[in-house]
Amino acid sequence: MATTGNATLARRLTRRDFLKKSAGPIATASFGITRKAFAADPVNVGGLYPVTGSFAQIGQGCVNAAKLAVEMVNAAGGIKSLGGAKLNLIVSDVQSDTTVTRTETDRLISGYKLSAIHGAFASALTLIASEVAERAKMPLLTGSSSDQLNSNRRYTFTPFSRASQFALAQLQMSKLVGDTPKVAVIFENTAFGTSTSTGLREQAPGEGVEIVMFEPYSAGLTDAGPLINKVKASGANMLFPVSYLNDLILIIRAIRQTGLKIAINGGSGGFVIPDFYKNVGGVAEGLLGVAHWNHDVNADAQKVNEVYKKRFGEFLFEYAGGVVAQTFMIADALERAASPDPQKVRDALATLDVSSGYAAMGPGGKVKFGPTGKNVYAHPVGVQWQHGDLATVFPKDDARASLMKS
Amino acid sequence: MLTTIAQAVVNGLLIGGIYALVSIGVTLIFGVVKIVNFAQGEFVMIAMYISYFLAANYGIDPLVSLAVSMPVLFVVGLLLQHFLIRRVLALGDMPQIFLTFALSLLLVNVALLLFTANYRTVQTPYSDTALQLGVLYVPTAKLIAFMVAMALSALLWVFLHATDLGKAMRAAAQNRDVAMLMGINPDRVFGVAVGVALALAGAAGSLLMPFYPAYPLVGQVFVLMAFVAVVLGTLGNVIGALIASLMMGVAESLGIQFVGADSGLIVVFVMLLLTLALRPNGLFGGWSR
Repeated sequence: MATTGNATLARRLTRRDFLKKSAGPIATASFGITRKAFAADPVNVGGLYPVTGSFAQIGQGCVNAAKLAVEMVNAAGGIKSLGGAKLNLIVSDVQSDTTVTRTETDRLISGYKLSAIHGAFASALTLIASEVAERAKMPLLTGSSSDQLNSNRRYTFTPFSRASQFALAQLQMSKLVGDTPKVAVIFENTAFGTSTSTGLREQAPGEGVEIVMFEPYSAGLTDAGPLINKVKASGANMLFPVSYLNDLILIIRAIRQTGLKIAINGGSGGFVIPDFYKNVGGVAEGLLGVAHWNHDVNADAQKVNEVYKKRFGEFLFEYAGGVVAQTFMIADALERAASPDPQKVRDALATLDVSSGYAAMGPGGKVKFGPTGKNVYAHPVGVQWQHGDLATVFPKDDARASLMKS
Repeated sequence: MLTTIAQAVVNGLLIGGIYALVSIGVTLIFGVVKIVNFAQGEFVMIAMYISYFLAANYGIDPLVSLAVSMPVLFVVGLLLQHFLIRRVLALGDMPQIFLTFALSLLLVNVALLLFTANYRTVQTPYSDTALQLGVLYVPTAKLIAFMVAMALSALLWVFLHATDLGKAMRAAAQNRDVAMLMGINPDRVFGVAVGVALALAGAAGSLLMPFYPAYPLVGQVFVLMAFVAVVLGTLGNVIGALIASLMMGVAESLGIQFVGADSGLIVVFVMLLLTLALRPNGLFGGWSR
């Protein structure tokens, strides 16, 4: 057993060695002049993403974005305080699995001289990776929105809005349809549906939002017609479905079929990625959602989006865009730390304060981490599917398109 | 109020038509071949993917690809009977249950492998439209599906009652041994029965595609309702399954409207339990097949 394990490790190391050795000459070839001028050692940055398993679609996009971001940093001259040192991205596939995430995070930290890690985006995986990183005193930046990441942690930094901010944003967005929004909440009768909908109901009065219908339904609808018949009778002008995709598709279609004029806000989730539109097509048009990042929030984001789109054929989505920003935050910290030492990088991240450039290209346009590792300026944005693209429509300061009436 | 009830009844009838296509297939196979086909829903799923890919790659409307999915599944039915079901007919209940159940698992997992778990939809000009009859909305795609389903059911009834092959099928359903003594070839009759049942599943799949997303587990959503309809409508009774399906659609819809959106199925299952308690042979036991 032990022999097999060692053999695997040996094979892996060999493959990594090969990649490292082959990456050298390639880098030299493309950045020959810079390399000759500053022969600084590259700085290793770890990227933990699931590129296989159930989270693979988003994970692969994050890896693509991470590679693009490292290229951008290096093309701009690398880390100048370290003699123009290049960033060297080391990606590890955490296979959408918590056990693999634990061992891979361990392996990455102990196997390479890393300066920082970003990754895992999915909350279940990030919580594990963050535990391991904390113990190893390795700074970790993540796009995961879990609020748990902001308690009892010193090395974990979350540059984007937290899960607890999402429900509030969703409620505030209902004001887009009028001053007195009447909201119908329909939710699947599962743990996910019940907890999310309860959160919405509890915060609604504080936001001046009237909930006129609050109804659980059996997940796995055969027909959404009867349910929508009920929504229609409630007189609501905004619908919050807390649903997984197949039910959501049926709900949207039933609304169109009954000629009901109502805005639909699905909250945050898997439908703000390009694949969603590719799969469900025109059904998605006009659908509202909440995201922690969008590619149109400012000029820098739009610039990266253009490059990404050209290379990968789809727009730079929420998590992938976040990874680009995180890479630039790490670069900024390395620049100020003037050292690849993870402890110094952590301290530099803790005092990070940027309001321009790619590191700051999120909603709010500024990054500064509070004592809990939370970006104090972060807030979610309201987005809407418009002509196959995701447009920011809320809040007013971030809006890049006006609401498309459905 | 009256409008709401009427709309609920319309919604129920429309989805009931789809339940009918699936349940008639199940009841036909059970009536003639005496085997419960747990994989019936998966054949609906296969037909949905046939229609999806024809629409996505060649722009063929799902209603047109009905002409592809039905014959393809008819042939699949013939092969299924010839290579699999025929071998277990003499073996008793367990191997038969395992066969169709395993087939269901196999098809779901092959679909997951080939098509991934993503939801795929087809957008047709009539997907999101509705006919307005006074105050009632009748979704076009569902109305078409309902009418085709009723037409196919009527065709099946004519086939069973007016053709020699259909009569042979009913004879085999009533008493297999006597039917064989009368010179009816059971293999041929069984093959056609399974073929027709799968062709109906194929029709259901293609008819669903304009308004329902395709994904590997989609068959299980419909097969549960189909089994309830088959039992309610008396096992093996085609007309019974049809009427029971429509009743269930309406009961579910009214249940969602007036009991609660998570209680639609409760109404259906209360109906099933009452039927089993009061008329154990189903609502249409003793009626002609």
